[in-house]
Amino acid sequence: MTGVTLVVGLGSPDRGDDGVGPAVAHAVATGLTRHTGVLVRTHEDPTALLDLWEGHDHVVVIDAVVTGEPAGTLRRIDVGADAPPLPAGTWAETGSAGTHAFGLAATVELSRALHRLPSHVVVVGVEAECLDLGASLSPPVAAAVADAADLVWSEVTADVPGRAG
Amino acid sequence: MNHRLTDGGQVMHVSTLARVEGEGAMHIELRDGRVTDVQLRIYEPPRFYEAFLRGRAWTEPPDITARICGICPVAYQMSACWAIEDACGVSVPEAIRLMRRLLYCGEWIESHALHVFLLHAPDFLGYDGAIDLAADHPSVVEIGLRLKKAGNQLMTVVGGRSIHPINVRVGGFHRMPLTSELRALRPVLEQAREDALATVRLVSGFDFPEMEQPYEYVALRPEAGYPIEEGRVVTSEGNGFEVRDFPAHIDEFQVPHSHALHARLDGGARGPYVVGPLARYTLNHDRLGDLAAEAAREAGLGAVCRNPFRSIVVRAVELVEAVSEALRIIDGWSDGVPPSVPVPPCAGEGFGASEAPRGILFHRYVLDDDGTIRDAQIVPPTSQNQAGVEADLRALVETWVDLDDHALQHRCEHAIRNYDPCISCATHFLDLTVDRS
Repeated sequence: MTGVTLVVGLGSPDRGDDGVGPAVAHAVATGLTRHTGVLVRTHEDPTALLDLWEGHDHVVVIDAVVTGEPAGTLRRIDVGADAPPLPAGTWAETGSAGTHAFGLAATVELSRALHRLPSHVVVVGVEAECLDLGASLSPPVAAAVADAADLVWSEVTADVPGRAG
Repeated sequence: MNHRLTDGGQVMHVSTLARVEGEGAMHIELRDGRVTDVQLRIYEPPRFYEAFLRGRAWTEPPDITARICGICPVAYQMSACWAIEDACGVSVPEAIRLMRRLLYCGEWIESHALHVFLLHAPDFLGYDGAIDLAADHPSVVEIGLRLKKAGNQLMTVVGGRSIHPINVRVGGFHRMPLTSELRALRPVLEQAREDALATVRLVSGFDFPEMEQPYEYVALRPEAGYPIEEGRVVTSEGNGFEVRDFPAHIDEFQVPHSHALHARLDGGARGPYVVGPLARYTLNHDRLGDLAAEAAREAGLGAVCRNPFRSIVVRAVELVEAVSEALRIIDGWSDGVPPSVPVPPCAGEGFGASEAPRGILFHRYVLDDDGTIRDAQIVPPTSQNQAGVEADLRALVETWVDLDDHALQHRCEHAIRNYDPCISCATHFLDLTVDRS
């Protein structure tokens, strides 16, 4: 294990609120001078996590979510190897879809099956409103970026075994 | 979902097909043991790429059309480049063709590995999907993921990134990768070669339903080597033609149940035609390199392969070929090659085709003298294979009509996955219904 905490912003900046993951990751990256032991990445493809989180024991993933809550609502979910498996309903459909549709939950469970899932993985979900191609972040989601970055920082600085100081 | 009809018929309907790229459905109706209707329903909305290419500059199709697909963007880029260069009367040097072939090898490796291991192998091994397969056979899925990663790395070095490469331009590349960058890939590709050979051994041991289909195969055939980035069109009936004559031989038409145009060869008089791995292999097996040819022999592939279920074996052999070709090109590469040649705009019509992982991808552009695109036509492989898929389903259901509904439905979905359909490309496409009487 590297002892480095990995922060990954998932999503496409060209698809409206789907770009909130990269936007929050960029906000987190701007504060990196205050900390060491943190690596910030962005990616459009959730399956990239299989390789990105190799060697990391502590990972924070930021992604847009759609749960019916008001846009910009933040949600924190433990999905690491130390947490219980996700319910099949969250990944069975996308996990058996084409690879275009292979989602974050399916990637987490594929990693678990392959014994590649880091111990501590926290997903910071930001409720999305608009996922249209070519759109920018909706106002309520744009307004939630700073709070989401603060939540990521609180996860990054949490006392996690194996993390570099 | 299966329904019994009041007239004694039966409908089998799968409203959302699993493990295909994009969104589609299957609908089959049976009466007295005979199939009366088969529809591969492609309901993913039309994407109008050809329409919004009009009015754009001649330099833009490689970047715009790459966005049609995250799995095969290089295919779109290569066919677009050939077509624009053809319209402008420009031929690229051999070194640029070779670098295009190398980039394309990365896409074949990534695409075939994803389909073989994540989408198709679960059908043969009795799993609902890759996650269930991984739980019982993690080492099998790891082979696939290593191959995918190798393809991604190759595409990143040559194309600038692994999805929607940014280094391709009309006339060549923005930057040629350095020999040192390419040779650094050697250990990854040597492992990939071993993984590809292991893949051939694995999939050739699967149980294949007995099925032989008589379609006319259509593939490219270049002057030398296995068809990847270019070639002349050849068919199993000996009806070959130049790429620029593609529209004269292959016409597209609309059917009510699909947002993807169907296609027919020479008016459809000889029945459905099929593009893709089985066509490529059957028409070009003599062009495989020594290692892939030996792997094909050991896998039991003859000179002709007409069982659609064995397409997974051909894809595995093509993995060996793509990795071997990548190593060959890298070993022979020297620095100092200009990355591109000028392609000044010119009024005219241009035609381009390449072998996407799923089969021939054809592009045609009409340009004004200032390079403005006046007309664009894109014929993707999945569109061309729709009639073949429907004919396979018709033959398969009538052969295995005694299977229970669940087993029959599974076999039908498996048969569709034989073609690795990319619906997202075709709409520029699946859901199953069987109606029995």
